[in-house]
Formats: sequence, C-alpha cells, structure tokens
Amino acid sequence: MSWAIEVIGLQKSYRNHTVLKNIEFRVEKGEIFALLGVNGAGKTTALECIEGVRRYDAGSVRVYGRMGIQFQTSTLPAYIRPMEAVKLFAKWNGVKPDVGMLSSLGFNEFGKKQYEQLSTGQKRRLHLALAFVGDPDIIFLDEPTAGIDVEGRLALHSNIRELKRAGKTAILASHDMAEIEALCDRVAILSGGRIVFCGTVAELTRAVGRKYRVHVETDVGVWEVETENITDALLKMLGEVRQKNLEILDIKVDRGTLEQHFVEMVRRDM
Amino acid sequence: MGAFIYGVALQCRMDMRSKSLLLTCYIVPLIFFLLTGGIFTAVMPEMRGTLIQSIVVMGVSMGALIGVPPSLSEIYGGGITKVYRANGVPLYTGVLTMAISAFVHLVLMCVIIILLAPVAFGAERPENPAEFMAALGVYIAVSLGIGCVLGLAVGNQSKQTMVAQIVFLPSIMLTGIMFPSELLPDFLQAVGELLPARWGYRLMLEGGLVLENLWYPLVVLLTSVLTCSILLKKPNMKL
Repeated sequence: MSWAIEVIGLQKSYRNHTVLKNIEFRVEKGEIFALLGVNGAGKTTALECIEGVRRYDAGSVRVYGRMGIQFQTSTLPAYIRPMEAVKLFAKWNGVKPDVGMLSSLGFNEFGKKQYEQLSTGQKRRLHLALAFVGDPDIIFLDEPTAGIDVEGRLALHSNIRELKRAGKTAILASHDMAEIEALCDRVAILSGGRIVFCGTVAELTRAVGRKYRVHVETDVGVWEVETENITDALLKMLGEVRQKNLEILDIKVDRGTLEQHFVEMVRRDM
Repeated sequence: MGAFIYGVALQCRMDMRSKSLLLTCYIVPLIFFLLTGGIFTAVMPEMRGTLIQSIVVMGVSMGALIGVPPSLSEIYGGGITKVYRANGVPLYTGVLTMAISAFVHLVLMCVIIILLAPVAFGAERPENPAEFMAALGVYIAVSLGIGCVLGLAVGNQSKQTMVAQIVFLPSIMLTGIMFPSELLPDFLQAVGELLPARWGYRLMLEGGLVLENLWYPLVVLLTSVLTCSILLKKPNMKL
C-alpha cells in the first residue's frame, strides 16, 4: 500500500485538557479522506498537527509529499488583493501561479478586489487557490465550503474532484455530511479525542448494523420494510405484489445517510 | 530573497491602502506640522532652528507608536503564523516587512516636512543633511522597535492605544521638543531622559550624532529586537 499520510499514536493536550488521545489512521495516495466529528472533537487540532503548524505531545506524523493547506478565512491582511496573495505564496514556494487554476476558481471576477471586500465564498476560493499554488501532492481542507452558496459549493466540489482525477490526495475536515458522502473515499470519525471509526461509508453502515429500509409503492398504497437483507426482503415483497395482482409504481432502497450513521457511531461512543 | 523583497513592496502598497496607517504616518503629523509650525514660529521665532527636529520626532513617534502596533497585532492575531509555518517562512517575516515598510513611509513623511518647513515657516534646514538623515534613521528604527514590541505584546487594540499613549504623550511633552525641558520639574526631566524621543531629538540637532547621544537609542533598539524575538516564541505564536 502506498500511503500519503501516516498518523501513529498522536496525542495533544492543552493544559489539563486532552484533545487527541493516541489517534491513528493512514491516508492512501490519491484518495479523498474526511475527518468527521462534532464541535470540539479535535478535528482542526488533528489536521493542524498533521500539517505541521501545531506541535503535538506524542506520536508520529508522516506526510509523503508536498503539502498545500487551505486555511480558514481571516488569516490574510485586510488590504491584500487575491492576485497579490497568490503571487506572494508562489514566490514563497518558488513557483509561478497557474493562471488556468486561478481562472477556474473565479479570479477573473474578484482577483483585483481587496481581501476585506470579498464575500465569504470568494475568500474560501482564494484560500483554496493559495493551497493549490505550490502544486502540492496532498491538500488539507478545513471546512472548505462553510458559508458558501450552492453555486459556489458545486464549483468547489468540482475543483476537489479535479484534484482526485489529477492523482492528488486530499484530507478534509467538515461538518457537511452530504459533502463528505459525495466527495470522500473514506472517513475517520473523531469522538472525545479518539478515532472511533475509520473506513468507507459502506463499512460504516455495516459497523453501525443499521437496517436498510425497502420502500415499495403500489396502486393501492405504500409498503415499507426494515431489513438487513435487501434481496430477501424485496423478493418477499414482490411475491406478495404478484399474488395480489398489484401494480408497482416505485421502488426505493434507503441505506441511511452518513449523518445517521455518524450520529449512531458517536452516540455509541458516549 | 525575491519573496522577501516582494513581501516588503507589497506591505508598502498595502500600507498606502490602510486608512489608519495613512492617518498616523502622514495626515495627522502633517496637519500637526502645519498648525504648530505656524504657532511656534510666531510665538517663539528662535524655534525656527529646531522646528524640523521637533516635528519629525513627533511625527515619527506617532507613526511608530500609534500606527504600527494595531496593524501588527491584526496580522499576528489573525493566525498568519500558521500560514508562515506551512510555507516555510520564518515567523519574524511579518514584523520585519511591516517595520521596513513603516520605515519607508516615515522617512517619506519626514522628507515632506524637511522640504516644506523652510518654505512655509522659514525653518532652518539641517546643515549636514547626511548626518541628519542618519540620526533620523536611528530614531525611526528605535521608535519602530518599541512599536513592534507593543504590537506583539499587547493583543487587545484598546489596551494597545492606552499603552501607546502612555509612551507617546510623555515623548511629546517631556522631551524638549515642544518647549525647553529645563522648564520642567526635576522629576519630569528625569522621566523625559528615559524616553527615546529625547535622545532622538538630541541626535538630530546640529553635531548631535555622537556616541554620547547614540548609546541609549542603540540599547533600546537592541532590547526591542530581543523582546520581539522572545515574544515571537510565546506559546500562542509557537502553537
């Protein structure tokens, strides 16, 4: 297996409060990996320890490749212009700005405004652009679409998917379950400073032992069954539909959302 | 090095866009110059000999002590240290670029005063411009050193204004730039001796650039640099 990030036994405390308790996970090269957790679970601290911008007390972090970090807003001076910030970051990293990338992030629209005049979405896109400037192998995204409208969110999702197509690795911390479900290959759930789950969404579904909900709509009404075996349940329902000579209008299988699984997993850990 | 030079040039441009820096480094000192220049030279014609030095000390003190600290704490308080760490940039870069940029702006403000004062108020030009500019450079550096310490040590902007005023007002009132310090009680004269403005003023007078007047500003500058480097190692800076 080719890893992009290895986190082993990571521990971090602030005075008497332990934020990270021996956390371990690995991120594969080319995958989009999410850190999930409720507020105060330690996502941002974990991310910052891995990025190397926060010191940790014990454990080891290995990052195999060049990093790009999307910071939260308010880390830039109020009077800097997006193009100036990109040029400064490019000079720090000894590269030239990728004009195509800047254009795809909407710089033609807001590149000459001052930072304090940008909308939240534009600031997020600027911070994403700054993370991309050094042509990194691994990108860290902390709440990448928080406070962005639907259009901006879709554009950012498209940028993040583009990363995966280019073979880059991304690790993101987010509250937005739909976003994580749509973008990420694997998730790690942080609860009380520990990793309580690490795997794919399908593995999470199995881990929480959640039943599937099979929903059959016929000309005489709706029929719903909760089951662990979709095939058996569906065959039984279809058999009865045939026997009663009903007409099927719609069939749906609800495997539960990541949000439901996440809540279940965190509840179990409490 | 290219990145550092670009950073300094960028900081100079950003400072020109900042209304507060424009106000403290240019507008207020120049308005003060126009008002007091007229009053001083009318009331005390002998002040023409030291008008440039007085106004320059006041302008530099205001720009460095009141203008710089808020901008500095705004940058470091906004989490720029993470950006620096992530990009392999030394933590002192922000202080250094801001200090160099402020140095440039304060020199420009002083040059405007030096050029205008003789024309507007018949003030005497420094006889040895090179020596005067060297003394001015030392005083600007010392004042910026104190401003940087204030910006890094006091995070809260209202406290910063209070602390800055505690240094700024005595620098104007007790150091002999507004009226001869001999008129003050001994205790206040002693307080005035502790303020770099007093020494900066002496340095800029004719023949003032001598070791006797230079050692104290240099000690203050060195102490400020050391204090800044310690402050940059504080836990919240180190993370």
